Parts: sequence; structure tokens; C-alpha cells
Amino acid sequence: MTIFIIQILNSLFYAAVLFLIAAGLSLIYGVMRIVNLAHGSLYALGAYVSAWVVGGAVGHAMSGALGLAGALLLLPIGAVVIAAVGALIEPTLLRPLYRRPEEYHLLITFGLLMILEDAMKLLFGGTPLSAGSIMDSMGSIPIGRLLYPTYNLVVVAIGLIAALGLWWFIYRTRFGVILRATSQDRRMAAALGLNVGRVYVQAFAIGCFMAGLGGAVVVPAQAAVLGMGVEALVLAFVVVVIGGLGSLEGALVGALIVSLVRTAGIQFFPEIELAVLYLIATAVLLIRPTGLFGRA
Amino acid sequence: MTVQLDRRSFLNTLGVTMGAAAAATAVPPIVPAAAQTSPPPKGSIPSTPLKFGHMTFLTGPGAVLGEPSLKGHLLAAEEINARGGILGKRKIETITADENAGTDANVKELRRMKLSEKIDMFTGVISSGNTPALGPVAEELSVLTIFVDGCTDFLWDKAVPNPKYTFRITNIQSADGVTCAVAAAQTWPTAKKIAHIHPDYSYGRNAFDHFMIAYKKMVPGAEVVSEGWPKLGTTDFTAHITKTISSNPDLIVSSVWGGDYVALYKQALRFGMFNNAKFASTIAFGVAPHAIGKDHPEGVIAGVHSNYYFTFPPGNRWPANKIFVEKYFKRWNEYPNFQSDGAYHTLHMYKTAVEKANRLVGGWPDEEAVISQLEGMYFETAAGYLYIRPDNHQGYKDAVTGFSKNVAEYQFQTLDPARMITIPIRNITAPPHWPKPGNGHNDPTATYNWIKETWPQVAA
Repeated sequence: MTIFIIQILNSLFYAAVLFLIAAGLSLIYGVMRIVNLAHGSLYALGAYVSAWVVGGAVGHAMSGALGLAGALLLLPIGAVVIAAVGALIEPTLLRPLYRRPEEYHLLITFGLLMILEDAMKLLFGGTPLSAGSIMDSMGSIPIGRLLYPTYNLVVVAIGLIAALGLWWFIYRTRFGVILRATSQDRRMAAALGLNVGRVYVQAFAIGCFMAGLGGAVVVPAQAAVLGMGVEALVLAFVVVVIGGLGSLEGALVGALIVSLVRTAGIQFFPEIELAVLYLIATAVLLIRPTGLFGRA
Repeated sequence: MTVQLDRRSFLNTLGVTMGAAAAATAVPPIVPAAAQTSPPPKGSIPSTPLKFGHMTFLTGPGAVLGEPSLKGHLLAAEEINARGGILGKRKIETITADENAGTDANVKELRRMKLSEKIDMFTGVISSGNTPALGPVAEELSVLTIFVDGCTDFLWDKAVPNPKYTFRITNIQSADGVTCAVAAAQTWPTAKKIAHIHPDYSYGRNAFDHFMIAYKKMVPGAEVVSEGWPKLGTTDFTAHITKTISSNPDLIVSSVWGGDYVALYKQALRFGMFNNAKFASTIAFGVAPHAIGKDHPEGVIAGVHSNYYFTFPPGNRWPANKIFVEKYFKRWNEYPNFQSDGAYHTLHMYKTAVEKANRLVGGWPDEEAVISQLEGMYFETAAGYLYIRPDNHQGYKDAVTGFSKNVAEYQFQTLDPARMITIPIRNITAPPHWPKPGNGHNDPTATYNWIKETWPQVAA
């Protein structure tokens, strides 16, 4: 029973991180119809920036003065930096290509992926960076005879808050209405006097913020390592294939399905851990090619 | 009929040595082979540079091993070039390729390097998924190749059973699982319930197979209680850790490496995975030494791919190591790992082979002459003596592993200098001409079959 509870918590932790990445990917596709192959690398960059800030001189000063709160306050810096990077990328690299066929989008974002991967190695080196001080000071809570890291519960909560916040933002605010209108008909939105260019840059920045936040929250639990972005991109695609590209609900449900199935695979069928996610994605593609929540 | 004997006598026959560091004494003026000046070459030597293609992980999770490989290679090239080049004339020019491109792209890149860049020699490679694909192509292109790693037994067992142009300098992979098993059986002989976490590709499978076959011989009744096969490049291990703990193991064995391992141990710490079970890794400390934090659990078996750790042999006992570590630190401001050692000595071994061939035939020796010198070469490296077996072109050196410990001297965790374990390689790998898989047996490797057939079963 204890094992069951902890494995469920592990799944929720994994789902929270996956949701943050996949929701950004889906949001960007939903609004701009761009499949951003560099999305995983933006997640990784968020992890590196947060680890660098928390583990660096500023981090030591802040956690010296404010303790755990100081380090936790610094953690979202990764997300903010990635949002800023996004606000820079959209008008310079993506905007000239919207009218071109999809292949151009894939080419430019793939090129961006390669550049970001090299840039991270150049900036932060090949050695993994960690922000483990946060986890250490939060400790672990006993569940039955086992331990569960307190910080992982915080990540689950952040995932939940992000999901609710994003839903509220898109369905309950004026900006959300504009975003949805632009996503449904770009030309009509422009004709009605909306500044589509501004909507795009904001949407892209929000998508990037989500990716950066995913990286920022994961780094105290794991470490920022080279290649984590490509790994995350592949998983995020599995999530959106299952949930439906462009759908927020799809990203949430997809993330939950992927993480629960992966955990069950690890616990009961370790030999097929590699295959199990792709089997599910295949099944969904066969039955509902647009994904569970996707529109044709 | 299997011979029965007790564990201690069996370990004695394996020649397992637990060594303590020597106290520092005055340095005798010994100069290792790599630093000695050579006699002038015979005949006329062209001054055209030698072009080397060095392939290693420059990006991705493997880069934490790839960087040290390239740094070792460059250090040796700079040293050789500073003395005028090989045979005093031919300087080394290096072009690099990123192994992270994937196996198919790597094969194409090797072809491109040979056919269009006209490389004289191919070096590097880390992944065991890549050497079996690159080896046959190197043979086909007749390009002299010394792999630094990618040490799967499969390369010589199946992919290139009769190598001519291809060599490999790091210990054969089966030695890694066996070394870990010997160290664990010697240290915790009562551990019977074994849980495994290995990356799901050839290296992880090889480590699992060879650990278990050797361990079961030494610890009767040992059984696998849990298996985890994370994808290479995974950073979330929470579910694997919980599953492992839930099986109540006595001993957890892992071959997860590089950045993946750093992520694994940090998560495992917070789940208390190291609290109730012993832990043994084949390759935990194989990464660049400074990647392991002081928060890593102490007293676990933290393997180094059974090859090399920079503090061993210690002090002045083996000056080649002391000098190599000093030079490497001076150049790169960090300490070397087994990849650095392998890549560095690849070049020096090649240089030595060319010099020997030159003395025999004069002028710039052709590849046949260099190969004949590499075959059977016995060579001094930082890790100790290295022997290149003529039949399979594989490098063999005594296997090494140890226990993790924080010492004040270093900012990162190191291997305990007082508890290094060394095992003569001859005692843990199949001898020359032992039947390969497919010849009378279908075991995973020749060494697996050799252990199964020839090691005694220790009495319960």
C-alpha cells in the first residue's frame, strides 16, 4: 500500500513536469501553428539558469540571508529568463516564416535546438549543475516505513496551480478571449483591430515561460544535465500526440496518462519500459488520429 | 563436476588486492615512457601532418564523458607536436565529430572522414552501441582505428571477429560487471537479494549479465529481486527508486552513468535508497571526477568502468600516473577520468608503435608495420601496464574499483585511497581463443561462457 501511494505521488510529480513542458508546446501550436522543436531545449535552459542562479554566489547570499525562502524565490528566475528569450525569438526568427510551409518552421526550430544545446554546453560546461540545497533543507516526510521528498510534493502543487492558472487565464480573462480568437481565425482577429503580432509574442513568451518553469522546478530534484532537453521534447510529443496538439486539456490528460503508464511499466513490466509509452501513443493514433482532445 | 571451495580461498585465487595509499616519499627521478625523448628516426620522414579523426560525445548526456576524452586526446597531441610531431616530423592535426549524431550518422561520418578528409587514423568513440557499427566500416575502409571506449565484448565476439585495422584501449566490458561482482562478494558476502537499475542498451545488459554470473558463483543463493531498465538519458528515476526499495534488497547494483547517474544518486538520497541496502556501481565514478558532489553516499562501491581513477596508483608508486595527472590538471584545470587516460595513451601508444616500426624498416612505416608493432604491445600508461592482445586487438589492464569517501583534499567526493581494489585482468576475462558465442555455446559473451564453465561454485 505504501509503495502504491508513493508510486502514485511519483507519477503525479512526473506528470506535473511533463504538463508544464507539454502545455507550453501545445499553447504555442494552438495559437501560432508552429511545432517548436526547440521547446525541450528551452526547458533545459530554464533548468540550467535556475541551477546556476541558486547554486551561484547570488544563491548563497540569498539563502544565507533568507534561508530556504531565499533559494525558493530565486528558482523561478529560470522561467522568467526563458520567457524573455522567447519574446526575443518570436519576432526575430519565427515571424518571417509564418506564411511559409511547415517544413520551414521545423527547420528553423530544429536549428534553434542545435544552437541552444551547444550554447548550454559553452555557457555551463559539461558537468551537471544542481540546486540540491533546496531539497536538502526541505527534507523528506515518512510515508509508512519509507521516505518521500517534501519538495516533490511542492512540484505537484506547482503543476496543479499552473494548470488551474492557465485555464483561468485562457477561459476567464480578456486576454484569453483575444488569444482564442486569434487562434481560431488570425485574419478575422486582425480585421477586428487586434494587434496579432503582439498576441503572438505574448503567447510565445507564455509558452516559453511554462517550459522554463518546468526546468526550474525539476532542477532541485534532479540536476541540469546536457541532453535533458531532447529527452523532454520526445516525451512532450508523446504527451501531445495522446492528448491532442493544441489542446490544454489534452496536455493535462496526456501528461497524466504518460506518467501513470510509465510508472506502472517500471513497477510491473520493467523489460518493456522503453516501449510502453510509444505503444500507447500508437493506440491513440490508430483510434483517434487527432489525439484524445484534438480537433481535426 | 563443479569444484566446491570456500569464498575466501576462491577470492585468493583471483588475486584480489585491497591496497592502501603509500605515504608520500621523495620523488625518485623516474621518467615514464610517454615523456622520454626518442632516438632520431631512421631514413627520411615526410613533414606532411598526420590527420586524426576523433569522434566522441560533444553534446548530449554523453558529453560528460566526451569532454574528458577530447581533452586527453588534445593534451597528447599538443605534447607530441611540441616536440616536432611523430618521428620528430609529422605533426598531429585533429578533426572532431560529435558521436551524439546517432549510429547511422556516425558511420557516414567515418566514411566522410576517410574518403573526403583523408584521415590517417580514427580514434575515440564512447558508446557500445556505436563501436560494433563503426568497427566493420573501419576494416572495410582500411583505416587504422584505436577505439578509446565503446568496450562491448560484442565488437570482437561478433562484429569484427578477426580485426586487422581496429584496436581498442579500454578494458573489455565484461570485466566491468565481473569486477563489481568480485568487489561486492568480497565486501558484503551475505547480500543475497539483489536489485538492479541499468540503462536499457548493450552496456546495461552486459553489466547485468556479467555481474550475476560471477556473483552467483561466489555467493550461492543470490537472486534478482528487482529490475529497472531506464532509457539512456533518463533523468527521472523516482519510480525506479521506489520499485527498488519496495523489493527490500540487500544490495543494489547499477550501471547508470554520466549525467544520468548524477540525477539518480541525488534522487535516491532523498528517498533513503542508500539507508537500508548496500550499493555497488560499475561506473559511478567514471564521469569527470568533479561531477560527483560531496553529498554522494560514502562507503559504496563506486566503479570506474574497471579502468582508471586519477588517485591510483597513488603518490610516487607509479610515476606515470602522477606525471599524467599533473600535466592534465595544468592544461585543463581539472582531473582526468578513464576516458582522458584512454584517449591520451592512444596517441602515445600509436607514436611508440610508429617509432618501433621506423627502427625496423626506416622511413615512414606503412600501416602493416605499425599494426604489427601494436599487436602484442605491452605499454606503460597512467593506470598501469596495458597489453594489446594480438588475436582480438583488445587492450587489457588490471581492473580497478573502490569505495566512495569524502577527503579534505578535494572539493568533490573521491575513491577511498586506503581501500582500492585491483584484480589481475587475466583472472576475470576469457583467455585468447576461448570459443566465441555461436561456436559451441550461445551465451552473451565468451567471458560469460568462460566464467560459467571454469569458475568453481563457492560452497554455501
